[in-house]
Amino acid sequence: MHVIASEWLKVRSVRSSHLILILSLGAILLGVGLAWMASGMYDSAPPAQQSRARLAKLEEVLIVVPQLCLGVLGVLAITSEYATGTIRASLTVVPRRWPVLTAKATVVGALGLLTGATTVFGTYFLCRWVVGDRFAGVYTAPFLDKLPTLITTGLSVAVFALLGLGLGVILRSTAGAITILVGLVYVIPMIVGNLPEPWSELLGSVMIGSLPRQITGDDLTYTVYGSLLAPAAAATALTAYALLPVLAGAWLLRRRDA
Amino acid sequence: MIELRQLTKHYGVTLAVDDLTFTVTPGHVTGFLGPNGSGKSTAMRLILGLDAPDSGEALVNGRPYTSLSLPMRQVGALLDANAVHGGRSAYHHLLCLARTNDLGPRRVTEVLEQVGLAGAARRRVRGFSLGMKQRLGIAAALLGDPGVLMFDEPVNGLDPGGVRWIRDLMRTLAAEGRTILLSSHLMSEMALTADRIVIVGRGRLIADTTVDALTASHPTLEDAYMALTASSAQFEASP
Repeated sequence: MHVIASEWLKVRSVRSSHLILILSLGAILLGVGLAWMASGMYDSAPPAQQSRARLAKLEEVLIVVPQLCLGVLGVLAITSEYATGTIRASLTVVPRRWPVLTAKATVVGALGLLTGATTVFGTYFLCRWVVGDRFAGVYTAPFLDKLPTLITTGLSVAVFALLGLGLGVILRSTAGAITILVGLVYVIPMIVGNLPEPWSELLGSVMIGSLPRQITGDDLTYTVYGSLLAPAAAATALTAYALLPVLAGAWLLRRRDA
Repeated sequence: MIELRQLTKHYGVTLAVDDLTFTVTPGHVTGFLGPNGSGKSTAMRLILGLDAPDSGEALVNGRPYTSLSLPMRQVGALLDANAVHGGRSAYHHLLCLARTNDLGPRRVTEVLEQVGLAGAARRRVRGFSLGMKQRLGIAAALLGDPGVLMFDEPVNGLDPGGVRWIRDLMRTLAAEGRTILLSSHLMSEMALTADRIVIVGRGRLIADTTVDALTASHPTLEDAYMALTASSAQFEASP
């Protein structure tokens, strides 16, 4: 518990964490702005175009903002200690080492849950209010039908926070860990989406971005992702993204000279 | 009490600490001397369990450091004054460390006053001079009021007033019965501060003696040091 208090203080006592969290919540404003703009265009379009107009589910598209932000927060939680040398002090006062990483995981994981839930539900409700029944009723499905996907999408932000932390402790380099993180969110899914079948569908099914919606059995036809995994398998894969790098990092942290 | 027993550590092919055995006893300041790269900092990291030795062991109060549950209450260390997050205030930096060992804000305020940083407590460390960072590092070492203290070159960057303050602080802490291991390259300062001297070169023990014994056989501590380490300096300018 003492170590968690320390790690929580570490996060909130530097300005970069505040910026990252504010930026994540900026996704809500961005979503509302897009919804408002799209609705304006929709209203001024002739009925024939209106019937064909489609709008993406903005809370699912914009989740990449808090995902990346919290991923970076997770990375910085450990790599800033290596960059400044404070890791030596941290491991001197907690010589068993693993409680330091557990506490960091608890703190960035909890912040990920909180930020993920806030942005997903905030974006969803505000966009639903702005869009109304426009765009072939993209926002008219009952809330309870949407709830599972909103929850798994929000959870994915915590997964990114832990993934960032895990990559950070393994690589001990801010630039290296963030590069891999961005690659996993943007670059690799693009490449995978353009591969010939069956590779596109196969690999697309294990991309992080596909997992929240595979868990709830959503339709992923018009995305770069595949949907070959059963809900339980998708849930396992998402958990693995969150935990395996952290566990590997914990093993390395115990073995390596600081 | 700090005990090193046949401590050995390689980094790749470099032998950093080579079969090092000595004991640092309580009640006086023990100066830890040696040329750059002689293994002083490595020895300190091995004592603190930051690096694992290839063989041998280091004990603090009779136990391996890594087995201590609230280590700050037994051992305090300043390894590198620059190892602080520039964006964090001095107060928060210390409180982050204190919390892990169940120490609170009151103790943080106390040590900040003790090292003369009370006025700068809320300022971010980025703007600190090296001397102020040294004081912050010493404050961190003192947080748990430990009986064993290690300082790696704490005098660097301090003004004359600060140098005298460190000297008095070290002697006071030792007089309270604590074990003090102090490394420095300033021989004149060491002669005024330390009672015992441990000299290492190329990772090996060269001397484990008293300041009085060294100054009895040589004109000054500096002369003694130069004579003893003549063969083990690794980085030297050509004459």
